[in-house]
Amino acid sequence: MAWISLEKAKKLEERFGYPKVSEGKGVVSVEVPKDKFIEFLTFLKEDPEYQFKMFIDLTIIDHGEKEDPRFQGVVILFSPKNQERIIVKTWAENETLPTLTNLWKGAKWAEREAWDMFGIKFEGHENLVRMLLWETYPYHPLRKDFPLEGIKDTELPSLNESLRGENLEGLFNYDRMHTALPTMEDLEITQKKRMPAKTSQIVLNWGPLHPGTHGTIWFLFDLDGEYVKQCDIIIGQLHRGVEKLGENVNWQQFIPYTDRMDYIAAINENHAYVLAAEKMLGIEVPEKAKWIRTMMAELSRINSHLLWLGTYALDLGALTMFLYTFREREKIMDIIEGITGARFTINYFRIGGVFADLPYGALDAIEHLIKDLPQRINDYETLLTRNRIWLSRNKDVCVITEEDVYQYGLTGAVARGSGVPYDVRKIDKYDAYGEVEFDIPVGEKGDSYDRYLVRMEEMRQSIRIIQQCIAKLRKMSKNDPYFFQTPDEKKLKVTIDGRGMKLPAGETYASSDNPRGELGFYIYNKKDGLKAHRMRIRSGAFYNLQVFTKAIIGRPIADAITLLSTIDPVVGETDR
Amino acid sequence: MGIKKVGAKPQTLVEKIFFLDFIKGLKTTIKHLWKKVITVDFPYEVVTPPIRFRGIHGLRTVDGTENPEFDSWVKRLKIKPPEPGETRCIACKFCQAACPVPELFDIQSEKLDVPEDHPHYGLKVMTVFNMDLSKCTFCGLCTQACPTDCIIMTDIYDLSSYTRKSWVLDKDVLTQIANDFVARRGKEKFDEKSAWREDQKLWPEYDKTRERLWDFNMPRLGPNYQDQTA
Ligand code: SF4
Ligand code: SF4
Repeated sequence: MAWISLEKAKKLEERFGYPKVSEGKGVVSVEVPKDKFIEFLTFLKEDPEYQFKMFIDLTIIDHGEKEDPRFQGVVILFSPKNQERIIVKTWAENETLPTLTNLWKGAKWAEREAWDMFGIKFEGHENLVRMLLWETYPYHPLRKDFPLEGIKDTELPSLNESLRGENLEGLFNYDRMHTALPTMEDLEITQKKRMPAKTSQIVLNWGPLHPGTHGTIWFLFDLDGEYVKQCDIIIGQLHRGVEKLGENVNWQQFIPYTDRMDYIAAINENHAYVLAAEKMLGIEVPEKAKWIRTMMAELSRINSHLLWLGTYALDLGALTMFLYTFREREKIMDIIEGITGARFTINYFRIGGVFADLPYGALDAIEHLIKDLPQRINDYETLLTRNRIWLSRNKDVCVITEEDVYQYGLTGAVARGSGVPYDVRKIDKYDAYGEVEFDIPVGEKGDSYDRYLVRMEEMRQSIRIIQQCIAKLRKMSKNDPYFFQTPDEKKLKVTIDGRGMKLPAGETYASSDNPRGELGFYIYNKKDGLKAHRMRIRSGAFYNLQVFTKAIIGRPIADAITLLSTIDPVVGETDR
Repeated sequence: MGIKKVGAKPQTLVEKIFFLDFIKGLKTTIKHLWKKVITVDFPYEVVTPPIRFRGIHGLRTVDGTENPEFDSWVKRLKIKPPEPGETRCIACKFCQAACPVPELFDIQSEKLDVPEDHPHYGLKVMTVFNMDLSKCTFCGLCTQACPTDCIIMTDIYDLSSYTRKSWVLDKDVLTQIANDFVARRGKEKFDEKSAWREDQKLWPEYDKTRERLWDFNMPRLGPNYQDQTA
């Protein structure tokens, strides 16, 4: 298991006296007093026995207005040496916490998000501004007393109503009152606060609506001639409050919302969530479901990498690539559509398995596809890998070091490109990943070219995994269950449609290796419930994007496109 | 632990001088010059969606293929036993309860206005069933919750319209959509008891347009599992 053992955590208790160790659902967490927080974390990070060097996530739990203290800070760390994780918690008395940015640079954005969403101040943070919302927004929306539909204080009549004079009633009735929207003035204030120490005359804005940003990301560059001296990123244009929704809808009902985070790889998003919920329930899904899920997840990874490759090459001027990868992508989409009924927002996985067995002929179609695919990938490589323009635009461009990986909590191909073999599939061995053989590709230098090579190799490894899944599934029977069968309805109810399904009290964290890095779900439940008390989504794309602000420093502005493409964030997931 | 190192190899002098990288690339491109067009000329040509496709909803009517529990559900909810051709909906609102966006439904039922000695006295019928599909996520959870297999998803995907109003479908429209769909492709999707057929195909093999997006090289569909037959 990829968690610190209880005995080892108890040793911490003996050594310091103040930590309180508790066991969640398959996780171990340690609670320490606020004034000892930094001391304790420094010890964990630096002690040769523990070496929790890698930052995974930081978030807040709001326990409700009546509690005192009300907010609790949660930090998740990983130790590359021992391959284990730990949760450290502390109470945010007076709504403040000490900053962790001196220990891990990656905490910078996480703390800004915590301030934005919960109104927790981090003492010592260099520039504690909002992360997703604009600077003049008055509320902190993830607090429990903030209603799901928001505080409606802005009038905005429906367009239909004002143009067509439609009388809207009943279901047609759209409320005229909406939650606040930012004005141009608000955006200007936000932009100024993000880069208070600009040195050049003008700040170059890139985005929020620029085809090169692959979504709505707004970059600010402080330039010296052509070279970037400072950079900050304004995200949040696609912020829909998925975490809040997760705390307000039932368990299975949340899966369609996860589809809409990383919409390029919706299956992988579903996967991480159902893993977390299953860990919470403590159930094992049937064998068949495990293999189907592994196969579909890898199919989706190839699908996502093809889109990445096409658009990345397109951005660097190679239009043909885009057309070729979309041809293969179409076939994968076609198969996914046939199996699940949807191309994009797939919602195929369920807590407890999948909602339907594979349709007749599915394995044949996948087999047919992956027989052809290696040749296609070779074609792509002939076009790009040795091409001199490609080489000069990618080699030694924007190097990300191993230290950055731990500091910023980088995961996925970005971490692997820098030579860190961090792969949740190998660490957690969820579903069938413990039983299939595959290699983790790692780069040598950490430049853009390495990240490119790593993703190309990942596609080949995915094909290998799919082959093994097909061979295994072929040996199964059509009558094997694909969904969890509960031994006792009264004690444990798991339904495909999700009605009446309860998850027990406790806390858990589970993650999966997405095409964009580690996507983790931290679920905290006060008591058995139809809904989560706290649903935290640790987005790989969010943390990977953060390193952009560092890796671009000192590089010419033209490298911004290369760097962004090789980091490959999806705005639906960074903004949630 | 299965780690594979990938890294850059510098270009050789021969490669550089003779532009081998470009020539190889051009070869790939030229190979594609002789291929047939693989795109579909929408809307003049369309690909038939697979049978599991999650499109616009429909409400099925009673046609003798109800599941075995249908009658007991009708009794339990005190619904007037439907005649053939009438809706299967028993206004249980399970679909709404399973929906991630429950407010898109408006389901109501009413007691029948009949004298006390009438056999249907005290029984109810579903009177209102509106769905605002502009809020729908097309997740399919409602169809999985329905105890009478009344609400289904069809292969119609064209939802565009000029007004928001036309996204709200009422029970007559929904029934019409389902009737059309069942007549067209019902046999492909459902068995005699209205459950999903076990041998649903990945996609309809009679659809020849799909061949195009597969480069005119379609896979032949066969059984998945060792004990499955055609
Ligand atoms: S498909 Fe999903 S969102 Fe749409 S009505 Fe059914 S349950 Fe609701
Ligand atoms: S679940 Fe089925 S029977 Fe019940 S209200 Fe919905 S459509 Fe009607």
